[in-house]
Amino acid sequence: MRTDILVRDMTYQNPQIAEVAQLLNERFTGLDTKSDILRAVELKALYDQIRTLEPAERGPFGQELNQLRAELQTKVDAVIAEASALPPLDITAPFDVNARAPALLPSEHGSMHPLMSEMNRVLEVFQRMGFTAVESREIDDDFHMFEALNFPEGHPARDDYDTFMTEQKNGEGKSYIAPAHTSTMQHRVLLEHKADLEAGKPIAVVIPGRVFRNEDLDARHEHTFYQLEGIYVDRGVNAGHLIATLQTFLQEYYGKQLEVRTNPFYFPFTEPSFEFMLSCPFCDKAGCSICSQAGWIELLGCGMIHPNVLHAAGIDTNAYTGFAWGGGIERLVMMKHGIEDIRYFESGRLDFLRKFV
Amino acid sequence: MKVSLNWIREYLDFELPATSEVVAKIGAQIGGVDEVTELGPRYERVLIVRVVTCEKLENSDHLNVCKIDDGRVATDVERDEQGFVRVVCGAANVRAGITVAWLPPGATVPSSYDAAEPFVLSARPLRGVISNGMLASPAELAIGDNHDGILELEGDHEPGASFAGAFGLNDTIIDIENKMFTHRPDCFGQLGVAREIAGIFGQQFDTSKLYNTDVQAVHGDDAGRLEIRNEIPELVPRFAAQIFDGLTVAPSPVWLQTKLSRVGMRPINNIVDVTNYCMLLTGQPLHAYDYDKLLAIDGVDHATIVVRQPHSDEELTLLNGKKIKPRSEAILISSASQAIGLGGVMGGADSEVDDTTTRIVLESASFDMYSIRRTSMQHGLFSDAVTRFNKGQSPLQNLHVLAVARELLVQFGATAADTIYDLRTLPEDTLERNSLHPAITILPEFVNARLGLSLSGEVMQRLLINVEFDVQEQDGALIVLAPFWRTDIELREDIVEEIGRLYGFDQLPHALPRREITPVRMDSMLELKQTIRSVLSRAGANELLTYSFVHGNLLDKVGQDKQQAFKLSNALSPDLQYYRLSLTPSLLEKIHPNSKAGYDRFGLFELGKSHAVVHADDTEQMPHEYDRIAFVYAADSKAAQQLQGAAYYQAHAYLMVLLDKLGIAERASLVPLESYDYAGRDKLYTSYYAVGRAASIFIDNHCLGQIGEYTAASRQALKLPDYVAGFELDLAMLLKHASSESNYVPLPRFPKVVQDITLRVLATVTYQQLYDIAALIVREAGNRTYWTLEPLAVYQSSDDSEHRNISLRLSTANYDRTMTDSEVAVILDAVATAANQALQAERI
Repeated sequence: MRTDILVRDMTYQNPQIAEVAQLLNERFTGLDTKSDILRAVELKALYDQIRTLEPAERGPFGQELNQLRAELQTKVDAVIAEASALPPLDITAPFDVNARAPALLPSEHGSMHPLMSEMNRVLEVFQRMGFTAVESREIDDDFHMFEALNFPEGHPARDDYDTFMTEQKNGEGKSYIAPAHTSTMQHRVLLEHKADLEAGKPIAVVIPGRVFRNEDLDARHEHTFYQLEGIYVDRGVNAGHLIATLQTFLQEYYGKQLEVRTNPFYFPFTEPSFEFMLSCPFCDKAGCSICSQAGWIELLGCGMIHPNVLHAAGIDTNAYTGFAWGGGIERLVMMKHGIEDIRYFESGRLDFLRKFV
Repeated sequence: MKVSLNWIREYLDFELPATSEVVAKIGAQIGGVDEVTELGPRYERVLIVRVVTCEKLENSDHLNVCKIDDGRVATDVERDEQGFVRVVCGAANVRAGITVAWLPPGATVPSSYDAAEPFVLSARPLRGVISNGMLASPAELAIGDNHDGILELEGDHEPGASFAGAFGLNDTIIDIENKMFTHRPDCFGQLGVAREIAGIFGQQFDTSKLYNTDVQAVHGDDAGRLEIRNEIPELVPRFAAQIFDGLTVAPSPVWLQTKLSRVGMRPINNIVDVTNYCMLLTGQPLHAYDYDKLLAIDGVDHATIVVRQPHSDEELTLLNGKKIKPRSEAILISSASQAIGLGGVMGGADSEVDDTTTRIVLESASFDMYSIRRTSMQHGLFSDAVTRFNKGQSPLQNLHVLAVARELLVQFGATAADTIYDLRTLPEDTLERNSLHPAITILPEFVNARLGLSLSGEVMQRLLINVEFDVQEQDGALIVLAPFWRTDIELREDIVEEIGRLYGFDQLPHALPRREITPVRMDSMLELKQTIRSVLSRAGANELLTYSFVHGNLLDKVGQDKQQAFKLSNALSPDLQYYRLSLTPSLLEKIHPNSKAGYDRFGLFELGKSHAVVHADDTEQMPHEYDRIAFVYAADSKAAQQLQGAAYYQAHAYLMVLLDKLGIAERASLVPLESYDYAGRDKLYTSYYAVGRAASIFIDNHCLGQIGEYTAASRQALKLPDYVAGFELDLAMLLKHASSESNYVPLPRFPKVVQDITLRVLATVTYQQLYDIAALIVREAGNRTYWTLEPLAVYQSSDDSEHRNISLRLSTANYDRTMTDSEVAVILDAVATAANQALQAERI
């Protein structure tokens, strides 16, 4: 059975406990009634011994002893569990012996996750506008997260991305990274489409993906969220094209005319960079709870792709220019449905999930 | 970055429009505005008054009764015959003749202005004497921490003048997002923002109003008082300093204190305040060392400052009292004998300016931004200096800022020593052109092409000159040299940004890019995922999302090898420590909470990615990512009774629906999980399946994934009900095999004949074995026939566990004529014969 995988013998600092642990683990194999091991005299003796110890030693000793008892308990539980294992099935059959064919759940109970549904709506609009889509990675490296995007080592802009890192290192001795933005894909997309670009086809790609930030959870902050990145590169692309493209997308997405405006911003990978705002589609600028009475909603970051980012992918910045943008999906969904707590998305709660189609 | 409109007005040659317009323009052309605070209301009714008389209050050891002259400005207040107002005051420094700030009855204490219940003064008795309001301390006026006494005002003020008006406190503070200034160290000073504001309003700015003296290193006769050695010029390109003598440490004049406090800086004393003032104004942090302490530390008659890296195990006690061992590559400032400061980050306690200080060394240095950031991060030290130095302050401004400080210190009674020390390692050409980067030649067309504008060269020139760029026109091109404080102008695109921003990005024409109308290719993986979502949700299952990171305990509970999981070194909590190895365990974790919430049966599915150390090398030298779909079905014991049979078959039904829609149900085969010795990647996916009740799914010898019930140990550990099963598939494999070919077969025009057959087989014979034989016979039996062969029942008698009866239903028709019952009977006879030969099946 599989108890060997499940329960490994633990190691104990205290030599006395370690000795008893070894003894009891050996005895366990031979026992007919496995739960007897929990009543072993050696175990009881160790518990009795606590009283005789110096006060400072009692804590660590007691903890290790409890650990040993927990280990034994786990072993006993596992054996009992396996003993109650069920007989084998004909795994090729469509149903069990003497049973009806299983019925599926009622269709009306089914649902797609609202984030995924919304992401699809967004992708669908961009696809109609001529963008292809490719998903971003969930584990990446420093090069794609920062270096290829014009954030040199030690750059202060790195502080704005509280990035999770792995203990495991790559060939260069650097940790892998849980991407904090979908921009990690920019370099790859530019490289992949460079030949097409030079053959006269613009690069028009959107990148949906899951990203991570080392942030504490609350009703408005998640450490795990979804972004959509977009890139457009061609001859003669200018900042006006960027604004018009995003405005066109948003008008199509919300199905109405909207005003847009930009705030200058700073991202190392775009120059110039902007924060992009749109007039609140829910109140038409009259002020409502969704836009915090501001009449405007700050939705995404964008800018003209920095020449260093294009250079890194070998693209001639005299001939080509481009723009890029990125925004979160949770915001869109929360505003659309009036969802009050971002933590619901990854809660797996059916009472939340079944509210959606 | 807090900007005081009153402060920057001092440097503007034009009237600013209404605040709302200024804020809107800053938002559109400088950066996002976080907050706008009007300070005026906080100081409404606070008056400047003169204390006319001050006498001890009887029966009190510290209270005084004062008569104050407010020029009869306050209304609704009791006055004596001379028109003076009585205020009781407990401050030790209260005395006749001083000028102070008075909070009359009805005024709000400024420091309580933002509190839930602001403190409003009244006329009330203290020890039997009516006190009309109060005389205010700096703390009560929200201009510092000082509670010890009342604030004494210097200078001539008309009694009854508005306190806010006299000290610029009727101010508007605009907080601009720091992030916008990541590459604009100059904008971490009021001066820099003032210049930008002039620029966006199309007005000329003139920095020489502040930087108005000739700045040069000076080697005076007194140069021997201080020796400076820079051992790390690569990290400290410039280190300027000057000695000041004859100082008396005291509170700063109120104009300076209020200036600092308006933008959120606490006044300390005149020396520290001067350094902070210069920093807030110019962005360049300064640091003052107590000259006498430097002498004392080294025990000699001249001071030494060495800029170097720490020796091993060297310790330093900082201003904040913290003792650190500076990281080995930090920039350390030391005397001849010991560390005295962490350059650019925080000064040391041993050379700190205190109340006894009379002589200082004032440092105006430039530090490598990356080094500052690493030191700050490693030691967890975040100071106003760090915020500015880690953006990279220009090393061409040091002497200018030193001069600004010198003017103030001299004004406060100090004597500036003759020598101005200036150690620098800047390239000669940088000094010569007084700009950090060479001039950029740029064509107006280049700018217009990137902005979608058609501005003339002259317009561009004007915009740049307003913010003090040097711009020459030559053959239609602009030759642009950035002013010395700008660190960010290196490329032509930087000029494009500058022109676009100063002109106004909100003025750009909006036009869509044009492209050929070739259709775009859809991403097949995204399409597959969407198909799966739609199929499973239509089949009543719920899509959920769970975290990509899991607790190590979860991996233990389902028997997965933690060593194979990428582990986060900076996880928020143990709950999110490991990249998951497969999706199923995350789904299993969600069953118990949903059961508890009252859901008696449900199906959950998730599309996500998995990673394992064992696949840490794909073509990009990156861990391989597996796109996967996991599904689980669970029912509580009551619901399970109605469902009949093992949960396995429920999962199986969902699997078949999915594979069918993907056009591969016919080609998939199920193989008992235990019939393989799984190694490597697959082993990660199989640990939680129950032996005998799980299978691997194959297509053309490729493993698609696994399906089954879960081990009793996993079920117990995750508090799962008995009725639970699921599957998990690899999406790349699904995509590879999924078929877009239609399964459609033409419908026969002739009637169908339906006949059933039941075969008794040993319990060890699988359904699939029997079905395959039957299907083979049926398929070979007729040309031009239409048929379906479907399971009808699997029966086992309670007294014969050795055998099972499997019933199949054949529906068939011929495309050319009506089939007879006997023709079909012959086919089923052949099925019985074949099954008997191959599997010893008996027809019943």
